[in-house]
Amino acid sequence: MLLRCRIALANFEINVDASFDAGVTSIFGPSGSGKTTILDAIAGLRNVMEGEIEINGRTLFSSMRGINLSPHQRFVGYVPQEGALFPHLSVRKNVLFGADRTTDGSDPKVISADHVLDVLDIANLLDRPVTKLSGGEAQRVALARAILSRPQLLLLDEPLAALDVGLKERILPYLGRVRDEFSIPMIYVTHNLTEVLTLAGWVLMIRQGRLLAQGIPREVLRSPQAMMQISQAQFENVFAVSFVESDRSAGRTKVRLESGQELFIPYFPQWQNRSLQIRISADDILLSTQLPEGISAGNVLPGVIKGIELFDGQAIVTVAAGAEFYVRVTASAVSRLRLAEHAPVFLIMKTRSFGLLS
Amino acid sequence: MILSFETWQITIFSLSVGLASTLLILPFGIALAWLFARKEWPLKSVLETIVLLPLVMPPVSTGLVLLKIFGRRSPLGQWLYERGIEIVFNWKGVLIAMAVMSFPLLVRSVRTSFAEVDPRLEQIAATLGASSLRVLFVITIPLAYKGIVAGALLAFSRALGEFGATILLAGNIPGETQTLSLAIYNFVQLGKDPEAYRLLGITVALAFLFVWSSEWLLRSARKV
Repeated sequence: MLLRCRIALANFEINVDASFDAGVTSIFGPSGSGKTTILDAIAGLRNVMEGEIEINGRTLFSSMRGINLSPHQRFVGYVPQEGALFPHLSVRKNVLFGADRTTDGSDPKVISADHVLDVLDIANLLDRPVTKLSGGEAQRVALARAILSRPQLLLLDEPLAALDVGLKERILPYLGRVRDEFSIPMIYVTHNLTEVLTLAGWVLMIRQGRLLAQGIPREVLRSPQAMMQISQAQFENVFAVSFVESDRSAGRTKVRLESGQELFIPYFPQWQNRSLQIRISADDILLSTQLPEGISAGNVLPGVIKGIELFDGQAIVTVAAGAEFYVRVTASAVSRLRLAEHAPVFLIMKTRSFGLLS
Repeated sequence: MILSFETWQITIFSLSVGLASTLLILPFGIALAWLFARKEWPLKSVLETIVLLPLVMPPVSTGLVLLKIFGRRSPLGQWLYERGIEIVFNWKGVLIAMAVMSFPLLVRSVRTSFAEVDPRLEQIAATLGASSLRVLFVITIPLAYKGIVAGALLAFSRALGEFGATILLAGNIPGETQTLSLAIYNFVQLGKDPEAYRLLGITVALAFLFVWSSEWLLRSARKV
């Protein structure tokens, strides 16, 4: 999948030249940095002064060659922030709105409606009026509708931004499932770092219409530009884990990282689902240079410092301890403990500081 | 109250020509309202003003303009006459007068209801593969239909009340071009007050019914 676009707009120019495997590319930046503008331009919903937009060698727009496909010819699915479900149609008619679309035959994969409904868990909503959906349900319906219109590219505009945190925690895994089940490349706009780390294989960092950096999320996030944003944002670690056991009376559940390390998180009942994701804020992890004793925290993991990024009195310390943990401490803590690369440290994490994403 | 044959005839004539006029202008009104609400072009405001003119011009002046356009001495009137169509002083004149006079109300009302449809919904429909025509018929018109019906009702009421333009273009010929409004005027002139009051009662009842249902539709459309 190749995306080349140069979009000159009245107030700024956006230049993106990215190639990525059928995965999720995230556009990351603060509000008002032109993220939605990029999506609108790719979908053909906004006039572009000059530039080229090309997907898999198919030109959607080229000011030089005078090509400007209209939105209904672009095969670009769009899930806008507000969902934009058609209020006068049932959920069923919304979902199937683009499903009868005729393609040029170049697209061999056929995605069945049943499969999409199953993955997004909305089969039971089909006969409801759109106005009777919760925010998270509406987002999933909008997502299903876009997927079934046989897009060659899916654009997601902060689909979680309009929802409160509780709902957010429930829709994030659906996005991961969509990524894994349907090989449709996605461009995912967000200002939430957790979402970038959880979903994206590639990230474009945007600020005021300018591309600051692009690359693999964990690498790009080490750049000073990223630090600037991270220093203002909430910054969370997200891990895929498997369920081990639950102990209700002890109030905790044991899970296992892919590397085999075990962690205690707050109690939840037995879990059979395939994927489980947990998160912990970078601010909620303590560092210790010695094995701590006599503390209440349920998780102490030995690790090695892989990197320290200092910015504006803050430090993001990357620690390899089975998985990579980001820990945010003050610059003072780094000097007091004489933290340095390759130094061994212990991560101290309260059981109750963990949260469940799925 | 027992209505005479004459009263019935006048009422039914008014209602049916009014209905025909409303149906005649509906597709044009919807198309023009959509263009006004969604498209931009040079001198758009000039066309908008021209469409609104009959709303503010004295109806008699509009009638005179129509008479000049459709009269047998005009090129159009001549052309129609040669093909056996005569507009002036028969029911077709009533139809034209009603249509022209109620058109601005229809366009204004439908335009407002189109403007209230979120353009984002139309854009998303397009990304899902819907052509402009499909977007119009499957998204825009259904979402605006209450406003369209309300506009049509308003136009219909205006058509029924038409007087000035009708009397100039179609005359006041009993049994042929006499509408409710024209008949009331006629009866008053002739001193037949009871007949006039009877027709007055009918017009009040009809006007109330149409304006009330139009308002009700618009209110329920906003609630959604």
